[in-house]
Amino acid sequence: MNMIFKAFAKKLFGVKCEKLKRTVFLCLVVFWGLYIADWKIKIAPSVLYLMASAFTGGVMWQALTSKDNAASMKNLFMLPFDRRKFVFSYVAALGAYTFFTKTVMLLAVVWAVAAWNPVEILASILCATNAVLMAAVMYVFRKYWYVGVPWAAIAIIVILFSGNMPWFVPFCVANAVLAFLLLQNADAYSFYPQESGLGHAGKKHVRHSVWRYFFRYMKCHKNYLANTAIMWCVGLVLPLFFRQVWGSFAAFIGFAILSLNTPVCILLSCEPALEQAVRFLPCQKKAFCIPYCLFIFSCNMIANAIYLCSTQLLNGGVTPATVAAALFFALQSAVCSVLLEWFYPIRDWKIESDLWHHPRKYAVPAGLLLLAGAVGTWPALVPVLMGLLATEVIILLVGCWNSD
Amino acid sequence: MGNPLLTVKNLSAWYDRGKMVLDGFSLELAAHEVVGLIGLNGAGKTTFLKILSGLLPSFRAENILFRGQPVNLRKRDFKTSRYTVFAEDDSFPYFTFREYLSYVCSAYEKDIPDVSELVHGFHFENDADTLLKDLSTGNRKKAFLITAFALQPVLLFLDEPVNGLDFQSTEYLYQQIARYKEHGTVLFSSHVLESITLTSDRVFVLENGSIRQTFERGQIDAANIREALRYEHDI
Repeated sequence: MNMIFKAFAKKLFGVKCEKLKRTVFLCLVVFWGLYIADWKIKIAPSVLYLMASAFTGGVMWQALTSKDNAASMKNLFMLPFDRRKFVFSYVAALGAYTFFTKTVMLLAVVWAVAAWNPVEILASILCATNAVLMAAVMYVFRKYWYVGVPWAAIAIIVILFSGNMPWFVPFCVANAVLAFLLLQNADAYSFYPQESGLGHAGKKHVRHSVWRYFFRYMKCHKNYLANTAIMWCVGLVLPLFFRQVWGSFAAFIGFAILSLNTPVCILLSCEPALEQAVRFLPCQKKAFCIPYCLFIFSCNMIANAIYLCSTQLLNGGVTPATVAAALFFALQSAVCSVLLEWFYPIRDWKIESDLWHHPRKYAVPAGLLLLAGAVGTWPALVPVLMGLLATEVIILLVGCWNSD
Repeated sequence: MGNPLLTVKNLSAWYDRGKMVLDGFSLELAAHEVVGLIGLNGAGKTTFLKILSGLLPSFRAENILFRGQPVNLRKRDFKTSRYTVFAEDDSFPYFTFREYLSYVCSAYEKDIPDVSELVHGFHFENDADTLLKDLSTGNRKKAFLITAFALQPVLLFLDEPVNGLDFQSTEYLYQQIARYKEHGTVLFSSHVLESITLTSDRVFVLENGSIRQTFERGQIDAANIREALRYEHDI
């Protein structure tokens, strides 16, 4: 195994591959848990291949765009190195990390709940490998995006519509070989993240505004912005899916789903220096945590408002109680997210991709989903929960003003 | 030394179980003095400053007194009495310096002071309205140093403040540290002997998490300190 691969693999998997062991263990637990539960669904091969490809490609892209490898890369670039060896070692390390820590978990779930055969297993592994290589090529040659985007679109169409065809496997192999050949010409330096920024902040401000800070944060993290926009779009179309079953249960489930805008909920985990500053400066619960809570609440509430407007237009039946429930879910999500960030920030992540797929990130939406189920089944719980939330907010506000 | 402003007695700190970073560390800081901490890498300087900043929970001490009273390092009263400039700091990347200053002043419940002299002294005029994330390491350090001197807390902790600064700003920093006695006490760590000898009233030489030698005013001399550090290294 060459040294470049080893260097990146150690960073990504841990010195003794502890991350790999943990993931394999988790996969086995998840697989056997679901397998024994004997909960079966039917998944078409094309959907399985599309999931394996899109998920792996997406995670690989996140890993490639992450700035956390920049320091290791800088050190390696300082030394004389073989360009091609570097490219393949780096892609192999990131690809192995993506496959063995992320894709395997998805496949474990899918294989546990769906019937499968060896051909499908091999084909989905092939799809994942293909996605890794394609993502690497598209990242390296990103300035030719006008070629890369149609290439990805063609791959998706082929996977979706010809997953059962006999020529599907040769197509994937040919695509992977093409990506491999293109990588042969890749420049190693193109993996090094480029510095980009807003430069001067535009209008000069003498006074601070934490909200302005959050907006700049979103502006600089386009994927977080996109995620927020996607959640708002989901709010728009969700009533279409709930048309037949509209009622308080569907409304609550919708609010819980719309709280899935998790990237905006990990600001402190994302930036350890900011976390240090927020802990070290005085009065930060009031100065930082409350505006942060209101920011998350606003993002969630906009999604909920779009959802309610869309529901009223399509299905009707939105009542003041539904609006109150929307406020409840948006605020509860914000409060819980900020509390988690304050007391249990995600630490010791290797690259940003670990952070984005950390289970802790989904704790709040999962909790809200359970709550939605409970409240939907027993609507009498709504006033109780509103009372609890009001108490919670009062405790937090009083605590913020008096402590720290 | 006058009445102690801050007293730390028998402080021990650790990162991993069993690996002590500070061991039986004791120190007293008087009001209106400049104290330098020097020691080899890993001696515990940064750890000590992190503890005083309330960032490291894994420590125990016989006593930590502020103005003669036991103090909780994470409570507002103490927090508003001190400010720390860390060796490396990437916090609040989406604020400009002026916004950061305003934010910090509001946290310390103070009005925004006039910083034009400090900004000029550190040659920071062109960067005051640039986002902190877009500043170079040295300029970012200047932003935090200006904030620190403008805020004028009773206790000012500086962790390796010279690192990354150009020579003009370094000299200006020495002046500011020396003049800070009018406002409060400075405790700073450094690997640059000159920064210690030019500014400090007292110098503590750290070794393996405890104070090995103290130099009082009149004894502070580069040769003496170098000798103490060399001895430490030879051991």
